[in-house]
Amino acid sequence: MTNDTVIKVENVSKKYCRELKHTMLYGIQDIAKNAIGLSSRSERLRDGEFWALDAVSFEVKKGETLGIIGANGSGKTTLLKLLNGIFMPDKGRIEISGKVGALIEVGAGFHPMLTGRENIYVNGAILGMSKKEIDKKFDDIVNFADIGDFIDSPVKHYSSGMYVRLGFAVAVHCEPDILLIDEVLAVGDEGFRRKCMSKLNEFKGAEKAIVLVSHSMELIQGFCNRAAWVDAGVIKDIGTSANVIDNYLRHVVDIRQTAEKRGRRWGNRDAEITDIRLFDSEGKEVEIIESGDKTLIAVQVRFKKNAENPIFGLLLRNSEGAWVYGTNTMWHDMKFGTFHAGEEVTVTFRQRMYLVADVYYVDPSIAYSDGITSYDWQENALRFSVTSSKRVVGISNLDSSISVQRKTTMQTR
Amino acid sequence: MDNIGHKTVYEPDRFIKMGSFASWKEMAISLFQSRELIWRLFVRDFSAKYRQSLLGILWALLNPIITVGIFVFLNRAGILNIGETSVPYPVFALIGLSIYGIFATGLSVCSNSIIGAGSMVVKINFPKISLVIASMGQSVVDFLVRLALVIILFIIYGIAPQWTFLIFPFTVLPLVLLTLGLGLILSLLAGVFRDVIHLVSFFTTLFLFMMPVLYPAPQAGIFAALNAWNPLAHLIIGCRDILISGRFSDPQSFLWASVFSVLMFLTSWRIFFLSEHRIAERV
Repeated sequence: MTNDTVIKVENVSKKYCRELKHTMLYGIQDIAKNAIGLSSRSERLRDGEFWALDAVSFEVKKGETLGIIGANGSGKTTLLKLLNGIFMPDKGRIEISGKVGALIEVGAGFHPMLTGRENIYVNGAILGMSKKEIDKKFDDIVNFADIGDFIDSPVKHYSSGMYVRLGFAVAVHCEPDILLIDEVLAVGDEGFRRKCMSKLNEFKGAEKAIVLVSHSMELIQGFCNRAAWVDAGVIKDIGTSANVIDNYLRHVVDIRQTAEKRGRRWGNRDAEITDIRLFDSEGKEVEIIESGDKTLIAVQVRFKKNAENPIFGLLLRNSEGAWVYGTNTMWHDMKFGTFHAGEEVTVTFRQRMYLVADVYYVDPSIAYSDGITSYDWQENALRFSVTSSKRVVGISNLDSSISVQRKTTMQTR
Repeated sequence: MDNIGHKTVYEPDRFIKMGSFASWKEMAISLFQSRELIWRLFVRDFSAKYRQSLLGILWALLNPIITVGIFVFLNRAGILNIGETSVPYPVFALIGLSIYGIFATGLSVCSNSIIGAGSMVVKINFPKISLVIASMGQSVVDFLVRLALVIILFIIYGIAPQWTFLIFPFTVLPLVLLTLGLGLILSLLAGVFRDVIHLVSFFTTLFLFMMPVLYPAPQAGIFAALNAWNPLAHLIIGCRDILISGRFSDPQSFLWASVFSVLMFLTSWRIFFLSEHRIAERV
C-alpha cells in the first residue's frame, strides 16, 4: 500500500442468500457464532447462497475518482456498502485510510415529522459530525440546499427535490477524505446537479478520493478518471473511464441476443412491424457505431388490412430512458395513399448519429392518419451503442469545429 | 473526532483476529464516541413522538392511572384481596407500575429500535447500539413523568419522602442495565424474526401479573418460589423499598440481582457489537 492509496480492496467476496427461510436460519447461525466469538467460516457457501461479489480487487489513490458501472444487480451497491463498512466482507480484506462519507441513499435517517433544521442536526450526528461542526457549517448547508423558509417546516412537506438537496447538502459538508456516492445525482433539477458537480469537483481538486456508482455513462466519462465495470459480481474491466465504458457498451450490445428483454408493444396490429435493423453507410448491418456516423434504419412492415395514409415513426431513447430524437412521416408531410392487405413495405430512415457515447433504444411505430391510434408500436425493438473517440459531454454531439483568432499581436521585447 | 490518517480494516472475523482486549477497547471507544449521536437520536424520537399530539407527554400517565384505577376498584369491591401495604394502595401500585414501566416500555422500544429505524440501518454506517440506547431514553422519560405523579400523591396522602429518594437513581441503574441488556439482544433477533415484537408484548403483560408489581411480594406459594430466582422481581422490590421505606427488605437478593444485571448488560453489549453488521444484511 503506497502512501497515497486510500482504498485497498483485496480479493473481497460477499455472499447473499436468495430464500427468506435460509436467510433467517443463517442469520441466526451467524449471529450466534459471532456472539460467542467463533469464526463464522464465512468463506464457505451454504445451501442457497451465492457470491454476490467474487474476489474483487482494486485500489483508489488520493485525488482519484473511480466510476463503477454495470447492469442492475451486478453488485455495484454491495461493493459500495462494503467500502462503507455497512457490510463485512466474507472473504478478503479492505483497507481504508481516512474519514469516509457515503451517500448511498440521500435523506436516509430523516424523520418526516421533524423540521429541516432538526433533521440537519440528527443526520449530521449520524454521519459522525459533532454539534459544534454542524453549528459552524449550518448556514453553508442551508445555502447549499437552497430550501429557504422551509428550513423550519417538517420535512414531510418537502418536495422530493428539496429532500434530496437537503440530504446531499448535509453529506457533502461532513468533510470526508473519501466520498462514496450511489446514483444520487440522477435526481434533482439541472441547477442543483450543476451545484453538486461543482462541489464534487471541489473535492477532486482537494485531493480527496471519490467512488461513484452510476448508470450515466456521460457522468462517469465526464467526471471520473478511472472506471470499473462490475458484472455478475466480478470486475470485468478496470482502467481509464473511456476504455472501460467503451468495452462495457460493446458488451451490452453483445448480450442483446441472449438476454434482451423487449419492451412493451401496443396497437391493433392491422399493420405489423416485422423487423428493424441498423446499417452503416456501406450497407453493413451494425450494432456499434461511432458518433457522427451516417446510418440507415430499415423497418419492415406488413399490412394485414387496408390502411389509409398511415404514419411511420421512430423514437430514440438513451440508456436513462430520455427521449433523444423522434421523427415521423407526418411531420415530413408524406402521404402514401392506401396500402392494401398483404402488402409489405420497407421504411428507411437515413440520418447522421450526432450522439454521445451511450446505449440507445429505438421504438418504431405505425399509426393511423390521425396520428393518435396505433397499428403497432414496439418499445426497445432495436438497441445499439455509440462510441465516441473525441470526448464530449451532454446528450448530443454537435460536432463543433473550434477556431481561435487573435485580434492583436503583442510584441514582446 | 479526528479520523484523518486513521486506517480502518474490514475483513471476516475481524474481532477474533484483533484479540479480546483490543476489541473491548474498540467497543468502549465506539460507545464513547456515540454519546452525541445517542443524545440526538433520543431528542429526535422524543420530539417526533409528541409533535402532533395534544396531550403530549401526559400520555405516559394515562396507562398507569387506568391500571391503578382498575386495581383500586377491584380491591375496594372485594373482588381481589391485595393485602396490607405500608403506604395507601394507590401510591403503592403507582410506584410499582412506574418502576415496572422502565422494564416493560424499555424492552418494547428497544426491541423495535433497529427495525423501526428504516433504511438508515442499511444505508448508513454508524454504531447501531446508539439506536437502542437512545430508545431506552424514552422509557426513562416516561418513568420520570410518572415519578412526578408519585410525588404529587405523596403530598396528597401526606407521606414524608425518605432521604433515600436521592440515591434512587443508583438503585434504578441495575434495572436499566438489565432492560438494555435484554433489549440489545432482542433488537438483534427482531431484525431476523419479527415474532420477537409480539413475544415482548405478551411477556411484559404476563410478567406484570406474575411479579409483585401491583401487590406486595407473597411470602409463600408458587409465585414466591418463582420470584426468588427472578432478578427482575428483586430489582423492582428493591427500587420500591427505597422509595417507600428507605430500606432494602432483602439487600442480599438485590445485590445478586444487580450483579447479574451488570453481567447481563456486558454480555449483551459484547454480543451486539460482534454481530451488529449481520443485521444490515438481514433487516
